[in-house]
Amino acid sequence: MAPPRTYRCEGLTLRKASIGEADLVVTLFTAERGKVRAVGKGARRSTSRLVGHLEPLTLSRFSMAQGRDLDIVSQAEVLDGFAAIKADITGITRGLYIAELLDGFGPEDSSSPGLLRLAVNTLRAMPDAVDAEMPLRYFEFHLLRLSGMLPELYQCVECRREVEPDSHRFSVNLGGVLCPSCDPAEAWARPLSLRAMKVVRLMHRGRLAEVAALNLSPAVAVEIKAILSSAVRYWLGKDIRSNAFLERLQGEEVTGASTIG
Amino acid sequence: MTPDNLPSAAPSIARLVQELNRLPGIGPKSAQRLAYHIIRLPDEEAYALAEAVTAVKQNTIFCGECQNLAETTPCHICADDRRIRSIICVVEDPMDVLALERTRSFKGMYHVLHGVISPINGIGPDQLKLRELLSRLVNPEVTELVVATNPTMEGEATAMYIQRHLGRADLRVTRLARGLPVGGSLEHTDETTLSRALQGRQEL
Repeated sequence: MAPPRTYRCEGLTLRKASIGEADLVVTLFTAERGKVRAVGKGARRSTSRLVGHLEPLTLSRFSMAQGRDLDIVSQAEVLDGFAAIKADITGITRGLYIAELLDGFGPEDSSSPGLLRLAVNTLRAMPDAVDAEMPLRYFEFHLLRLSGMLPELYQCVECRREVEPDSHRFSVNLGGVLCPSCDPAEAWARPLSLRAMKVVRLMHRGRLAEVAALNLSPAVAVEIKAILSSAVRYWLGKDIRSNAFLERLQGEEVTGASTIG
Repeated sequence: MTPDNLPSAAPSIARLVQELNRLPGIGPKSAQRLAYHIIRLPDEEAYALAEAVTAVKQNTIFCGECQNLAETTPCHICADDRRIRSIICVVEDPMDVLALERTRSFKGMYHVLHGVISPINGIGPDQLKLRELLSRLVNPEVTELVVATNPTMEGEATAMYIQRHLGRADLRVTRLARGLPVGGSLEHTDETTLSRALQGRQEL
């Protein structure tokens, strides 16, 4: 019997692009099939049933039809529009950072309910977090874990001895902590203070709500960002565009000065 | 598609196919179809097409005020004394100016950004005509800014970024109303649009 030509799925819209007279090509991250590229026929027309349902950073339930090249979105129902993070431009950019990472790491043709749940929970946690950056760090850590690149936090990645509670270094390319006596030439290492190590271990073992409630000193937050953002960039193999804009916005917020060139 | 992919076509035909294939929404088959259509056109029609492409590239400039595409600066809208100069409507693309002009409801001035902020595609404020907008807003005669970027996430992000950088507390900043389209239906409207339509409800 031929496989069914239609299917249903639940997913987050990561990006959209215009095509043809009034169509959209959307990249979805679905629980059932991982990353899916699909066409929304006529979705740019203001009277289309799909208009508003295919906006980036929207969780929807889709009815899809299999196409020759790209699948076709036949119906969509919004489950969560994440209105709270879309209320300000920094929130939108943080959401797009998540979308860009999902687009980069997300597998195609493979069910990934854990990854979708992680992204949705992170988007929901950000508006109420003490520091909205911390859920992002949690997302980066568990994105690496679910992609099979869990950072090693308990043993030295060189000598395999258990690390003592002390200041260490974190090697992005070796994928974990280096003890004070190991200094391999090929390691790209960054300093990792004891406090930062404890926070990253909390990210590993703790819940998102605990991480979202953390109120860290700016120095520790910067240290953790340097490690985890570098790790995802290293494994992705390219710069994350939305991160550059996010850092620009944060710089403007700190200095209060416009950076429009 | 390169001329090498069309080994049996004459080099000039292969080149035309290649150039047409660069256009948005034109795939290799459509490019071939268009190329052979152009070849079959009467000479005067084909030359008129080539001349139109040349002329649009040679004569089109950015209006020094609104940044719209025009053949003169200021453009015919900016040069029109009947327009209300205290209101500037900021839009994403030149085609949005045409859409608003078709309504005959807006008599103010325009400013065309030529895009929207799209961090995921690497488009930031520096790639838009934002600096030019902010320098126009320094003029105290401008009392209202109508932000008419599309009601998409990127359009909203651009509107928020503009608001952040206005630097003038006395400027009235308005956004086009968002809600149900004429001919639409409640049943198929997404929750964001419906809630905005409720917020913006008016007396009957």
